[in-house]
Amino acid sequence: MKTHCSKDALLTGVNTVQKAVSGKNVEPDLQSIFLRAEAGKLIFLATDMEIGIRCEVPAETETEGTLLLPAKLFSDIVRKLPDTQITLESQAESANLEYYQSQIFLKGYDPEQFPLLPDLLDPVSFSLPSESFKTMIRETLIAAAQEESRPIFKGLLLEMEGSVLRLIATDTHRLAYSQSGIDNPNGLDFSGIVPSKTMSEIYRLLKDDDDSITVRFTGSHVSFQFGAVHLLTRLIEGQFPNYKQVIPSSCRTKIRLLVKDLMESVERASLLARESSAGVSLVRLEISGDLLKIEHTTDIGKISEQLSIEKEGADITISFNSRFILDVLRVLPSDQMRFELSGPQSAAIIRTPADENYLYLLLPVRTN
Amino acid sequence: MSQLTQAISEVQERLGSLQDEIERLKRYVEALEEENIRLKRELCAVPEQETNRVIANAERLQGVGRENLMKLYREGFHVCHLHFGQPLEDGDCLFCRAFLRRD
Ligand SMILES: [Zn+2]
Repeated sequence: MKTHCSKDALLTGVNTVQKAVSGKNVEPDLQSIFLRAEAGKLIFLATDMEIGIRCEVPAETETEGTLLLPAKLFSDIVRKLPDTQITLESQAESANLEYYQSQIFLKGYDPEQFPLLPDLLDPVSFSLPSESFKTMIRETLIAAAQEESRPIFKGLLLEMEGSVLRLIATDTHRLAYSQSGIDNPNGLDFSGIVPSKTMSEIYRLLKDDDDSITVRFTGSHVSFQFGAVHLLTRLIEGQFPNYKQVIPSSCRTKIRLLVKDLMESVERASLLARESSAGVSLVRLEISGDLLKIEHTTDIGKISEQLSIEKEGADITISFNSRFILDVLRVLPSDQMRFELSGPQSAAIIRTPADENYLYLLLPVRTN
Repeated sequence: MSQLTQAISEVQERLGSLQDEIERLKRYVEALEEENIRLKRELCAVPEQETNRVIANAERLQGVGRENLMKLYREGFHVCHLHFGQPLEDGDCLFCRAFLRRD
């Protein structure tokens, strides 16, 4: 194989596939990036068998062919290359990179060893604007479990039903739900748990100029294609819990306030809390009349803040894990927010006032 | 002629006794029907009481079960089917709460 491309193109390739490279606990030839030069392009491929990413970059190919290179070293080399045209040539299983009057020789592996990504058999597919999908990921990924014994909570439920596409995540203490209208003329139904790692990769790789994303699925795998990137992932096996039954249908107190106001107050209050206790940082919200008060006293100091709100319903005092509040405030796509409360021990809902497509449900912390 | 008269009167006699028999059977059927209705009523009455007893018992058991689940949850264990019996780590569980709230 022999091909010429820019340093930028190589960098795009290695950066795009890097998260799919296997970790250290596999054979070295699996901790690698597979390259295939074809007419007009160079294809990068990596997989850890859970997730596989394929990316094409423009290249001038003289001779088609393949290479299998150690991922870490090859990526590090590409990052350090000068910003110029690079010639990449295979010599048996090794790679030769040439630029200016210099060259780097890098030993590789037998490309035949690389596990090719399975083609989805008879997949069903749909497309949606990439911007909508990116927003949905951003709004829900926050509630997926980081460390959790059950794999289903480390994934997001992707569900298509009628003309609605939903994404739902929960770590059992909170739940984020986002939906989007979708063209579904054939009435396809789909439901699968996609690993959150895959979702955060899609979020990272989706560019603003990618118009749409195409989703293809079978019973066990789902693939996402956008721009020059193709990402394939195994679905998490298991039954996602019935999210509908945990969403309360009514509330006793509704307040409206500015996202920025609450975020900054909670951030300040949690600074004091963080210094004082090793565990969860709590924030206590006292809603009374048209004011929301945050008061916090710890060994090292005291904070007292008041925010103006619009309120419907009863006064209430309620405490939350401040991280759970901040997580959602950072992703809410509007200036204003709505907080729906049903009592100091009942789940609360945070939404944006004008948008019924999103909700974030969180449980308060019981205080004595 | 007297032979014929004799025959007619015999037929009349048999018809008469058949009619009597029919009347007797009719009364017997009526009695049986009444008996049947009464028995049916009795039969239904028993299960109704029994059902109530069973329902009450079930409710009591359910109440006890729910209380036990509540207690288990308050003591820090999941009662939702996802994690049943596992310790509640860092705080309340949405699914346990929904489960306990439901009934
Ligand atoms: Zn639970």
